[in-house]
Amino acid sequence: MNTHVFWLSLLVFLPSLGAIVIAFVPKDRVELLRGISLVATALTFVLSVGAFLLPSSAMHFDTSAATMQHSFVLSWIPSFDISYSMGIDGISLPLVLLTTLVSLLAMGASWSVTKYVKAYCILFLILETAMLGVFVTLDFFLFFVFWEVMLLPMYFLIGVWGGPRREYAAIKFFLYTLVGGVFMLIAILMLYFKSDLVALAKVSDLNPNNPTPSVVWADLHLSDATTQALRDDPTNGGHPRHTFNLLALAAMGQHTDAFSPRWQYWAFLLLFVGFIIKVPSVPLHTWLPDAHVEAPTPISMILAGVLLKMGGYGIIRICYPICPHGGFDLAYVVCAVGVISMVYGAFAALAQTDFKRMVAYSSVSHMGYVVLGLGVWSATAGTAYNPDYWNMGVKGAMFQMIAHGISSAGMFFLVGVVYDRVHHRNLNEFGGLFGRMPVYTALSIGIFFAALGLPGLCGFIGEAFVVLSVWNFDYILAIIAASVVILTAGYILWAIQRVYLGPEYHGPHGEALTPSNLRENSIAGVLFVLAILLGVFPQTFVLRYMDSTIDRQVENLAQWTKTVKEPQLATPQAEPVDATADRHRGDEPRWFVAAEHPPNESWHDESWQADAPGQPSGSSRN
Amino acid sequence: MDVSLLPTLLGVAVLLPLASFFVILTTGRRLEPAWGGYLATGAIVSAGVLALGSLGIWLTHHPVIDTGHHASEHAATSLPENPSVADDFRWRNADSETTRATTRLASFAADEEAEHPATEKAADGAPHGVDEHVSAAPVTGDYYLLGQFGQLRITIGYYIDALTVVMFCMVCLIASCIHFYAMGYMHDEEHEVTDHEVTLQNGSQLKRRGRYAQFFQYMSLFCFSMLGLVLAGNVAMVFVFWELVGICSYFLIGFYIERKSASNAANKAFIVNRIGDFGMLIGMMAIWTGLGTFSFGDIDNNDNGTIERGERGIFAQVRPPEQHHQLITPAGMALAASQDTVAHWMRQHPQATEEQRAAFLEEEATRLQLSDEADSTTGPGYWLLIVAGVGIFCGCVGKSAQFPLHVWLPDAMEGPTPVSALVHSATMVAAGVYLVGRFYPVFAPEVLLVIAVIGVITLFMAATIAITATDIKRVLAYSTVSQLGYMMLALGVGGWLAGMMHLVTHAFFKSLLFLCSGSVIHAVHTNEMTQMGGLRRKMPVTAVTMLIGCLAIAGLAIPFVVGLSGYYSKDMILEQAFSFWRSNETFWGGFFFVAAAGGAAITAFYMFRLWFMTFAGQPRDSHRYQHAHESPRVMFIPLIVLSVFAIGVAWPLPFSSLSLQGLLEQARPVGTAATVQSSLVELTWPNEHIAHLPENYDVIVKPVTLLAFCTAVGGLSLAMAMYVFGVLKPSEVRDQFSSIYRFLRNKWWFDELYQVLFVRPVHFLAGLIALFDRRWIDWLLDTLATLVTRFARLWEWLLDKRTIDALGDSLADRTYRLGLSLRGLQTGSLRQYVLFLAVGLIAVFLIISFFWSPTWAR
Repeated sequence: MNTHVFWLSLLVFLPSLGAIVIAFVPKDRVELLRGISLVATALTFVLSVGAFLLPSSAMHFDTSAATMQHSFVLSWIPSFDISYSMGIDGISLPLVLLTTLVSLLAMGASWSVTKYVKAYCILFLILETAMLGVFVTLDFFLFFVFWEVMLLPMYFLIGVWGGPRREYAAIKFFLYTLVGGVFMLIAILMLYFKSDLVALAKVSDLNPNNPTPSVVWADLHLSDATTQALRDDPTNGGHPRHTFNLLALAAMGQHTDAFSPRWQYWAFLLLFVGFIIKVPSVPLHTWLPDAHVEAPTPISMILAGVLLKMGGYGIIRICYPICPHGGFDLAYVVCAVGVISMVYGAFAALAQTDFKRMVAYSSVSHMGYVVLGLGVWSATAGTAYNPDYWNMGVKGAMFQMIAHGISSAGMFFLVGVVYDRVHHRNLNEFGGLFGRMPVYTALSIGIFFAALGLPGLCGFIGEAFVVLSVWNFDYILAIIAASVVILTAGYILWAIQRVYLGPEYHGPHGEALTPSNLRENSIAGVLFVLAILLGVFPQTFVLRYMDSTIDRQVENLAQWTKTVKEPQLATPQAEPVDATADRHRGDEPRWFVAAEHPPNESWHDESWQADAPGQPSGSSRN
Repeated sequence: MDVSLLPTLLGVAVLLPLASFFVILTTGRRLEPAWGGYLATGAIVSAGVLALGSLGIWLTHHPVIDTGHHASEHAATSLPENPSVADDFRWRNADSETTRATTRLASFAADEEAEHPATEKAADGAPHGVDEHVSAAPVTGDYYLLGQFGQLRITIGYYIDALTVVMFCMVCLIASCIHFYAMGYMHDEEHEVTDHEVTLQNGSQLKRRGRYAQFFQYMSLFCFSMLGLVLAGNVAMVFVFWELVGICSYFLIGFYIERKSASNAANKAFIVNRIGDFGMLIGMMAIWTGLGTFSFGDIDNNDNGTIERGERGIFAQVRPPEQHHQLITPAGMALAASQDTVAHWMRQHPQATEEQRAAFLEEEATRLQLSDEADSTTGPGYWLLIVAGVGIFCGCVGKSAQFPLHVWLPDAMEGPTPVSALVHSATMVAAGVYLVGRFYPVFAPEVLLVIAVIGVITLFMAATIAITATDIKRVLAYSTVSQLGYMMLALGVGGWLAGMMHLVTHAFFKSLLFLCSGSVIHAVHTNEMTQMGGLRRKMPVTAVTMLIGCLAIAGLAIPFVVGLSGYYSKDMILEQAFSFWRSNETFWGGFFFVAAAGGAAITAFYMFRLWFMTFAGQPRDSHRYQHAHESPRVMFIPLIVLSVFAIGVAWPLPFSSLSLQGLLEQARPVGTAATVQSSLVELTWPNEHIAHLPENYDVIVKPVTLLAFCTAVGGLSLAMAMYVFGVLKPSEVRDQFSSIYRFLRNKWWFDELYQVLFVRPVHFLAGLIALFDRRWIDWLLDTLATLVTRFARLWEWLLDKRTIDALGDSLADRTYRLGLSLRGLQTGSLRQYVLFLAVGLIAVFLIISFFWSPTWAR
């Protein structure tokens, strides 16, 4: 327990420790300030990799375990059962690693920042702490605290170090996110005051009289005090016992009646709006282009590489498990939001003349895949509750988050490299960079192709998995989603042509176009190599870590659909009756029994092999 | 040597060029440029050696049985020896028809009872005595996993059959020749290059460092991607390498990146291909959802030596062995469609009673059970099969530059000529045809019709455009499009073997033609045939090899005796088209054959026009003629090698039963040799062997061969008349048919049409959306923000200033005034004070006595 507290806390607060050290360094020692910050981010990165991936480490991440690992709970504000609790599982681990990596690279890119370096470094490091905190915390209240803490450094980083319209952009970013935060806060309170650990304990294995417990109490990682109290007095004196524990809330959402369907529906909607502001999805996306255009390069990298992922993380960690009713009823809305963002972002990117704005809109388009993938609730009676395609969508979305974190951070960095030289971003005033900066161009084309979704690079895997999983949910959305590949190719190739190809550079400050230096090459190089590795071996490098957790989550929700949701839909007094559920009314027609098999199972018996001596697979077993 | 060695051998063959790519990529600038060429060439030659070794292993395990129909004699085998005919026989066999239906019902019932399948019930009594084919079992398996989702797996795998091995050898062979050739052709790039086509702003010509190594780096990447595509064991992997060859093509078309035309062409190629890939994605989605696998063959996932449910590949699901490899609607697709129907019905009839519902479901269940009856087109899920087929074919339309996505290929000629030869004629563009061939078992008859129609439109349209083109490479480009159309037509009318044969023969003679044209361009430094002429005297080897190429593509031969490779494959296509006509005496039936035969005449005409304009007659541009020279040895030896193959690749190997045809016949997808019918479009696709039955020799083979010969000779004679003897003046013909000439010269105005129809609307819409962001969403937000601040100000003014502050102020004011007014009481008179005291005391007592309540005291 103590080791977990120490290491996870250290991981989260190591950057802040760096910030404290920096606070005592004179502000004119610029190189030292940057050096300390770089060391702090590098240590955090090494720590995150070493602790979770080294087999000998005490914090080694077990890929076969689906539940939270290395978790701990310390009481913080006991009267409201608010705790300082953290843990890591297959959903958070890849995002934590992405955060530490992108922070390190962004710090490396921060050498271009020359104004108020000390303040910049301090804010940057606090930002990293907040981001890591969001991904590892298990307490909803703490989550909210980290979420809001992240807002302030970001506001200043854009508002002080940004471009000409920085104040507008910073305020826009701040207000947008704050509105999202308010929605989230409402939902948090809604859920908190309806939550009831007593009811949950009743259906769990904590209740010795329950022969078929549906919840394993130990998996919820509640504090020992709470557990002991419920063991001593299972009814809690007749009062409900509220909690902020995310895992307990999820279990309540799925296994108890603590949150009524209508309640879940509204909570889901509030949370979803809060999160898609962050993602961002159309029509709540317009803060992003402005924020990106004005933010300094490293902050754009952080923003695109990590911050946007918090929205996706919130949806998968909070919206769906806690409010499955809302998720089920709003599945089409979620998917539609994703698809609209994909198409809208791609079209908008096609029309931009500002290089950075184009990349920003490409982020809107690419994050649309994430929302779409998370939304495909395709385990229903119609599919015999086969969650495989849904599972694929969620994994595709998770992969897309990681892939986008790499490719978009890379793209913003590359735009920054050339902006630092010529101080403009007008796509129509570039050209011929290939001849002037060959290595930079090669890396750029590589990373832009990763964003284009070229197979063999990371962007493809996420996009393909998500798009392929949608057909089972809805044909129309699937076809629209697939059509985005054309638009993506259009805007990326057109940008490459205008910036890198052509005979000569025809914009201002042409003399400043010097070949990229070692620092720039290594940052872009790391991202490019990762883009290849993730694109070629997605299972080995990413999916392996998230498999168990996502399998379990999707399996749970599919089970919930079958046992809780569909019977409710079928009863006449329930809310809008869905046709898919209707099918299960009355006697099960024998036709559905056949549907219980996954689609790739044939109806024919297994003896067919004996009938087919010349079966094509014969020689493959030699 | 075991066949299980093949995946390793071919896998290494795929990876060798990739290794070369990475070595050149990382060391390229420090390396002598020439080393780039050596590395890439070495890699592809080694891959070729491995491919030949694999062919050897394959042949030792699956010797080619002499099926009787040699390329030189179009006779067919007798019935019992030809299992494909047996296939056909079985298809028509009423007995088996009944058995099949019963089987399906029985197994259906078995599944219905419970999860456990009734093992004994089904499929016994099916006539499985006759074996499937000469086709040899493919070697299938996975290299590694890309992702796993419950039961679903996406992998990188392999599917190795005779077609794979043949394609491997062909690609490696042609690529090796072209690599050698390119070492000569790209020689200029070893040093600093002056690009005369690019003028800088200051009026000078562009000078840049050579990109010799880079060229070979891209070529290596291309070879890797192409070989990977051939080896691919599942649709996902096909798609991966499909896009990778696309991106290599992008790099190679845009090799001269300084030229705007080159980068435009590269973009166009990639984006047009992506349009095709969009269709392919839809097809893939239908397959993925309906079948739950992407694998072509069966994969033993759990390694227990048997193939269970869920381990079956696409082919086995679409043509189950227990259904005698007859195309059925796969269970998954039928179920998916049924479920949709039910959901739709439920939505339409919310008020339906239990009985009505039960009745409807019963009815649907019956429909589902009957979905593999002979008339499967009415069964549920059949449309998904069509979507899958058409979708996959869309990808092939893009890659193989078929109408309406053919526009990119002629522009792709912006790339260096070796690229055109390798990527844009022999291998990548043929990949579309290859995929249609590979995917053949999955295509429903209606999809075949689509393929045939697209193929015939393409072949005719491209051939007509080729007539008027004067750029030597563009003539060849349109010729390529047209020939690919032939292959598609062949596949579409049921001629799998014909299509695949033409794929291989065409690859050899068309790459030969391109390399010859490159040799010419190398010599005269122009692409325009109007500036050539008489070059045969200056470059005899090129002239002769190119003539061989022309003869091969025109399909000229001594009929019934011997001919060049194109003769065999093209005749097979025409015979199949004719056979199709005989089976369907309708407009469509005839249309395919007539267009194909007409196309053959046009082909002969434009090819010889090209040859005559280039090599015959008098030089049109004496300056260019003066400087022309035969290419160096490294360039013309590949020409000779390729011309040997262009002549003889379709001939059987002397003293053995080995022939290309026999080898390909091994790879024929199981079950596709049968005659099929479609009730939706009322057509019959005749079995490919029908044309070669002895009894049909006089009615099909003989007339078609003669006709093909006549069309080729006709085209040749017309070209001679116009460009050698001057009987017809080309300029006069041009004036005579000026409107047609303009139509053809402008390539049917496809580019302009697409510009208006698609490109501009997309840009317009994009602009609109960007505007929407700024003018609407942001406007709304900014207005909202302004309103909020205004409201805040108003609030402050109204509430803070006017109400609360005003209240406070007035209170203070009044207090002050009260104080002022009370000031008058301070008189200093003691008597007055005592009076106040007395009055106050009385008042207090009065109040207490009136209002006192004992409860107050508590």
